[in-house]
Amino acid sequence: MLGMIMNIDINNSLYGVCPKGWRNVASACISGGLLYMLLMFCGLGLFSSNSIAAAADELNCVLCHKYRGLSRIDEKGDFRLFYINQGLFNKGPHKRIQCKDCHTDIDKIPHDPAKDVDCTVQCHLTEPSGEEKFTHKPVAEVLAKSVHGTANMDEEEIEYPEDYPYCTDCHDQPLYRPLSFFKGQAAGVSERGLSRCKTCHQTGDFAEDFYNHVTSRLQKMRVSAEIVNLCAKCHGDGKFQERHGLQGNVVASYWETFHGKAAYFGSDATPDCIDCHVVYGENVHSIAGKDSRTSATHEANVAATCRASECHANAGEQIAGYQVHTDYDDPDKYPMQHYMLKFFKYLMAGVMYFFVTIIFLELLRRLFPNFSFFKPRKEIRQTTISTAGNE
Amino acid sequence: MQRYPKIVRRNGKRYFFRFSLVQRMQHIILFTTVITLALTGFPLRYYNQPWAKPLYEFFGGIDIAPWIHRITGLILLALFLFHTGYWIYLFFKNRVGRLIREKALTVGNVIKEFFSMEMIPNKKDFYDLIDMFKYLLFFSSRRPHYDRISWKEKFDYFAPYWGIPILGPAGVALWFRDEITQYVPGIALNAFYIMHTDEALLAAIFLFFVHWYNVHYSPEKFPMATVFLTGYLSEEEMIHEHYDEYERIMKEEGLELEIISQNH
Amino acid sequence: MLDALKAIIRTLYIIALMGFTLWYGYFLYPVIFGTTEVETEEDFASQEIEAFFGEGTTEEEKEFMKSLKQQQRISTTDLGYMVIEEQYVKGHFHHVGMKVETDDNSICTRCHGAVPHDKAKTIRAFLNMHAFYMACETCHVRPEDDEQEWEFRWYDKATGKVVANPPGLNTLDESMYGNYSAKISPGGIKQDGSFKFINGPKELAFVERYLKEEGRLDDTQKSKMKKVIHRNVNEDPLICDGCHTISDEPYLPFTLLGYPQRRLHELTSTEVVGMINKYQEFYIPNLLRGGGVDKDVETE
Repeated sequence: MLGMIMNIDINNSLYGVCPKGWRNVASACISGGLLYMLLMFCGLGLFSSNSIAAAADELNCVLCHKYRGLSRIDEKGDFRLFYINQGLFNKGPHKRIQCKDCHTDIDKIPHDPAKDVDCTVQCHLTEPSGEEKFTHKPVAEVLAKSVHGTANMDEEEIEYPEDYPYCTDCHDQPLYRPLSFFKGQAAGVSERGLSRCKTCHQTGDFAEDFYNHVTSRLQKMRVSAEIVNLCAKCHGDGKFQERHGLQGNVVASYWETFHGKAAYFGSDATPDCIDCHVVYGENVHSIAGKDSRTSATHEANVAATCRASECHANAGEQIAGYQVHTDYDDPDKYPMQHYMLKFFKYLMAGVMYFFVTIIFLELLRRLFPNFSFFKPRKEIRQTTISTAGNE
Repeated sequence: MQRYPKIVRRNGKRYFFRFSLVQRMQHIILFTTVITLALTGFPLRYYNQPWAKPLYEFFGGIDIAPWIHRITGLILLALFLFHTGYWIYLFFKNRVGRLIREKALTVGNVIKEFFSMEMIPNKKDFYDLIDMFKYLLFFSSRRPHYDRISWKEKFDYFAPYWGIPILGPAGVALWFRDEITQYVPGIALNAFYIMHTDEALLAAIFLFFVHWYNVHYSPEKFPMATVFLTGYLSEEEMIHEHYDEYERIMKEEGLELEIISQNH
Repeated sequence: MLDALKAIIRTLYIIALMGFTLWYGYFLYPVIFGTTEVETEEDFASQEIEAFFGEGTTEEEKEFMKSLKQQQRISTTDLGYMVIEEQYVKGHFHHVGMKVETDDNSICTRCHGAVPHDKAKTIRAFLNMHAFYMACETCHVRPEDDEQEWEFRWYDKATGKVVANPPGLNTLDESMYGNYSAKISPGGIKQDGSFKFINGPKELAFVERYLKEEGRLDDTQKSKMKKVIHRNVNEDPLICDGCHTISDEPYLPFTLLGYPQRRLHELTSTEVVGMINKYQEFYIPNLLRGGGVDKDVETE
């Protein structure tokens, strides 16, 4: 499934509607933006979405949106920032999409407050493995059928519909994470690798885009800690977990595992939420609840999930018994962990406070070395000098 | 094995033998490995503390620090095995050997010899403990007269000697988590994790405070006791800490008249 | 003598060590019995809300606590070859790639905040954009008739000091473009020849003092002070074509402020000016032409 999406993305961006020299077109557009505006102002600005070659800013939206402070407080009281960082925008697969492809309701400049973006609309690019216009709809459909969607639920069953995520609740603007394989793996674009592509594919940014797109898909799009923080937006909220009958603070218990600690220290190889909760090789949007037979975390599937080839390949079936999300405060669900921890806590407290007391008394005793309530006879007459005096 | 004189004189002062070179070297390996293990382990336990990340980065971060930890752990485990062999060797050489020479080799005698070893807790430790409380609570002005190994030192000794067999195998099991699950249920990993991390915490807070108090912070020792390097204890320290042994050695060496009273 | 000193030092050391022992016992308790669960930010916030306001927390109170928690939150995106650290903006899709610095030296933002424009619906975002690098005084205060003409300088948002050429003004580097960390603000040359902003450290100190001690005023005095403080705020703020004009003399002396020709051209180009004219015609509300407000916004 992952592969499926990958293909769509790659091919779409790279083989899609003829990209020849689109950058030049873009710069021409920027300098000639006034023409477009005038067209629009005259009411002629009804664009056909696939009129000319792809250009990120055909409409010269950045004329205004390049300014950093473009912002307001919306009616809900949220800060809305309308600044577009073009440098970063062009570092991701959306660079070839026009603003209007997503912000479809904007048809004039200046425009009214834009509606929320619908990621399932078709954009002007053609999905190259077929002839269809590209859309994120297939992904949205997978999501709707997953535990994060409501497609498989009866209407009465759906409680708190506002808690179910929309695309943008998890995804911000995608950015390439290219890899270099030239003489050893490293992050970033290999100029030497790229130059080989460019031997043949010289026109425009085709080679760069292809390179970025493909190598980004050969690794995770985000580091583990970012994924965990992402899931934590909902699953780290105790009240949310309670509302949906989910187990306590799964994010905190994840951080307590070696997986979590490695993620915290920046390891890319350590599993994040997705690695264990998505069936190996499946679309990441297809997460199912652990009661579902197809779930990666269903009792019957846990071992297979752990023993995925990049992970605990040599482990026995029994690795499934390892309890990742241990709540040490819950003696009913995790009795062994709870009582073991308790044992160690009391052992520690017993040992340490015994010695802290003794050392304190010993120090106190040093201040009054010769005092005692009862003096044995032979000691009474002794002229004693404190140990301090002797040193 | 090298014979160490029980008393040596330096600059007119008497020094009493305590640790052989082999023992001192074991101690040096012990504390260097334990400190390294603590420094590469606790950043993981307290990963979200501000000091954790810089410290872990210092040891090479998530790619290298775990390997330092594992290899150091192996050295410590090897030391543990060596030490076990070492005392068993000494036990047979010194005690069982003597029984053989005396033709008194019976199971009962061997057991008796075992329990009379200087590290094994005995009845005297119990009385010493009572003496100590009497002294500390101002019921008496007589310090407890410890023998060669006081109950505190036995505690210090058994802390790592019980700690390593808990920490070590648990650590190895977590290291070879894949292979181990072919033989034990997965939940054992949860148990190993608790054993490893909480026993480590006990060791760390104990060593940092109690052991270092005994050899560093204590007013008589500050800044550092030297016996772990020289192997010899000064007469002053012997009188304070091992009075029974002091008296015995002085008598053995024929220096009965020069014995100094504890409240001199 | 030396022995006595030694004994004193020894005693002091022992007492200090006793203190350390007590501290260690105190320190150990949370180490041994510390909670195993890490509290999430949300849990923490909700606990604090309850501690603050008791039960029945209102939306306003929740929003306030959340704002307190989220202030200056940074979100991080690790691309392997670069790490983007940027301002966290709730629900924001696009990467902004920058941190929004606070202006510690504006007397207005103390109360009005950094995103103050809200009345004129169609252009409020534009106005807030200008507030990002222009002090409020630049448009909302004008020299009195008998006053000499003002001069304009950039001040650093953090220090309040005059900066000659803010980075980002004269650069072609996209990541720095418009990233000034400074604002344009009016002032004048004092008799000793030095430059002084019309609202400088002295005025800032007054605002601080006023905010601290406002509670001591009675209600009538508060109303009076509000009027007095805002006395020189001009009812007719400077509007777009004051600066975005093809004429030779825009209100702000762009060249003196260090704008390169390229940027100057942008600001006064037919592109921008043309759009503004369109705006004026269709969108600029009466608000900006004599103190009125947007036709669909009620008067305060």
